Amino acid sequence: MAAEDLPSEFDVVILGTGLAESVAAAAFSRVGQRVLHLDRRSYYAANWASFTFNALLTWIQQHQEEPQPEEVQDWSSLLEEGEELIYLSQSDSASIRNVQVFCYTSEEDEEEEEALNTTEEEPKPDSADPQAQTEPGPEEASHTEGDEPESLQLVPPAAQNQSEPSKKKISYAHLVREGRRFNIDLVSKLMYSRGSLVDLLIKSNVSRYAEFKNVTRILTFRNGRVEQVPCSRSDVFASRQLSVVEKRKLMRFLTSCAEETEEQRAYNGRPYMEFLSDQKLGDNLQHFLLHSIAMVTEATPTEEGLAATRHFLRCLGRYGNTPFLFPVYGLGEIPQCFCRMCAVFGGIYCLRHSVSCLLLDTHSNRCKAVIDSRGQRISCSHVVLEEGFVGADRKRTNTPPRFLSRAVLITDRSILPTDSEQQVSMVTVPPAAAGGPAVKMVELSPSTMTCSPGTYLVHLTCPSIGPAHQDLSPLVTSMFRTPESPDHEGPSVLWSLFFNMADGSGLEAEGHDLPENVYLSSGPDAELGHDHAIRQAESIFQKVLPEEEFCPPAPNPEDILYDGDTLGDTADGETGDTIGDITDKPPPPERRDGQNLKSE
Amino acid sequence: MPSGFKSGDIPLFLFNMSMEDYDYLFKIVLIGNAGVGKTCLVRRFTQGLFPPGQGATIGVDFMIKTVEIKGEKVKLQIWDTAGQERFRSITQSYYRSANALILTYDITCEDSFRCLPEWLREIEQYANTQVVTILVGNKIDLSEKREVLRQRAEDFAESQSMLYLETSAKESDNVEKLFLDLACELIREAKQNKLDNNDTAPMPGEGKTISYLTCCNLN
Repeated sequence: MAAEDLPSEFDVVILGTGLAESVAAAAFSRVGQRVLHLDRRSYYAANWASFTFNALLTWIQQHQEEPQPEEVQDWSSLLEEGEELIYLSQSDSASIRNVQVFCYTSEEDEEEEEALNTTEEEPKPDSADPQAQTEPGPEEASHTEGDEPESLQLVPPAAQNQSEPSKKKISYAHLVREGRRFNIDLVSKLMYSRGSLVDLLIKSNVSRYAEFKNVTRILTFRNGRVEQVPCSRSDVFASRQLSVVEKRKLMRFLTSCAEETEEQRAYNGRPYMEFLSDQKLGDNLQHFLLHSIAMVTEATPTEEGLAATRHFLRCLGRYGNTPFLFPVYGLGEIPQCFCRMCAVFGGIYCLRHSVSCLLLDTHSNRCKAVIDSRGQRISCSHVVLEEGFVGADRKRTNTPPRFLSRAVLITDRSILPTDSEQQVSMVTVPPAAAGGPAVKMVELSPSTMTCSPGTYLVHLTCPSIGPAHQDLSPLVTSMFRTPESPDHEGPSVLWSLFFNMADGSGLEAEGHDLPENVYLSSGPDAELGHDHAIRQAESIFQKVLPEEEFCPPAPNPEDILYDGDTLGDTADGETGDTIGDITDKPPPPERRDGQNLKSE
Repeated sequence: MPSGFKSGDIPLFLFNMSMEDYDYLFKIVLIGNAGVGKTCLVRRFTQGLFPPGQGATIGVDFMIKTVEIKGEKVKLQIWDTAGQERFRSITQSYYRSANALILTYDITCEDSFRCLPEWLREIEQYANTQVVTILVGNKIDLSEKREVLRQRAEDFAESQSMLYLETSAKESDNVEKLFLDLACELIREAKQNKLDNNDTAPMPGEGKTISYLTCCNLN
């Protein structure tokens, strides 16, 4: 663990470990490129990261502090003739703003009696004030310090917590104590079961590094109530909200929209809403189809609405009764899985390590090397940069820059409790006013290993109009019990976080003022799926290696099977491949997987 | 009728893990400083090889070996760090759902021993609370260069409630014992857990992987 020097020559240097960069890293490494993958942060996955509760408190503190003025070190002494330096930005302040934290639960564990007698929770005055803006309350600040892992050893086994009735209110101290059970995502997305991410995970065999849960139900918030959206055939028939006539209409509609018809084409360019209303489906069905299935707005054109509906339907039933999967331990696992694949094929990883500048060959106008944060010169043929490293003057983005509004809530129960406490719910919330943003909400249960037993983790996301708290707190108070909505019968919010994050879809693909062999990738976008990042990674890969396959299947370790009794002999009389053989000639994709994918 | 919709209720390709020919599947993960012999331990155990001058393990994700213990077939999935330990950049996801951790140091390298607390911190952060951890001092074939006394390592392991074993991947000393002892311990724990019925973390193969498709129907 001594500060070893990095090798000084690579094919591709990649800076940032977000999803797009990590997928690109895996793709390059997989086809034999020598990859150096760096991140200045101490954690993987950049703005796609997941944090334990305590690590999230540290992250919050970092983003509430005033950014330190950058110390620009002069590396011009390393220049040779015909070379120029392009300095990169080193602070991460631009992509996250308006971080606000509210704690609505008691500081310490309450005595049993007290918990039963007190009906009203005193919000902590310092943090419950919505005007508190970016000032961290002294309490939050102090908590972030005391989170030495030593204290976490004392976490009691989960069985104890589960056996206790959940009447006892969960305290802040409890959240900190159970902190490592949380894996709180900075972004909130879901994996469409036939989306490009799932396809890529399976195709590349990166899927072996992670496990997934089904999103178990689709909910919608309408007229102040949370309702389940029937979307699979069995849901439709089992639904109690729908009349027999509605059931028939819905089935007929879903069947008919699978194929493009003359009738549908007549609506091209006109709102999907208009098409739906002409189908005479009634308010209920129209709401479900527009907001929960197509997940579009009233103004979306019919062809887009139908395409979204079809995508939803195609994804149904592949793995479960909803179109979505969610990774166990949170979305932050996914970029790390691709990083692992890159490393397995020889990619070199170094966190807490950055690139200070690009070294430009003035003659060819190509970047021939980078200078790392320790002043080491590392030559390379291509560079992939997370856009945050590049100053605004050099990149082309949408103006004004777009942001997402995010809220993360820890609550004490589900917004629609059922017998099963392991529901994972996608909740669509139509715009409060016409033209306003629709909010996407995901409620995670402890079964996803993202929150501690007895709590639920709720993620809200919408395109920003203003600061996240302003955009999302009205919805929070209308769905949950908070000090501003003390009489609400919904789940209580124990702790909440609001922040804005730069919308990665604002980055233009071309036209940046950078050498031609330097490629930019962006952070998360506002969409529910992951297509944007996967597309970006694939496009960068193809610019560099147009002839090579993008993420071909990695060899299956099961092919190296050794029998327990006779060391060195292979099992079942199969031909034993040596490691070298497997590396040189990857076997075809595992047949089992291939069939899974194609036989539909 | 869209095909996805039609098949809504039963995934088409339920692949039942229990059809495979073993009674237990355990994920064992190796950690420790670069150069302490992690890969050699794995190769010695799974292939019976000690590769002199071995390079990086390109393209190999994990190794598998099925052993038989008291009449039960135990499949061990043994994961190596893929070199990410070199600059202290192991992904958290590497620790997930590991049933056992082999924390390795080199008895001829004081520094690799001093880094153990750092590794333990990572384990506490990211590994399952019920993970079985064993401390391994490797390279006892080089005992003339020993820098870490056995007693010191034993005391340390005891203070951290870890098992301790000294091995030589080169001479194949204790390598078999290391993995078989672990397998026995894991079986014991698995049986205990079944009795207590308090599993909190998914076991490998029990959760759902999207290629195997087992997980999605078990909610």
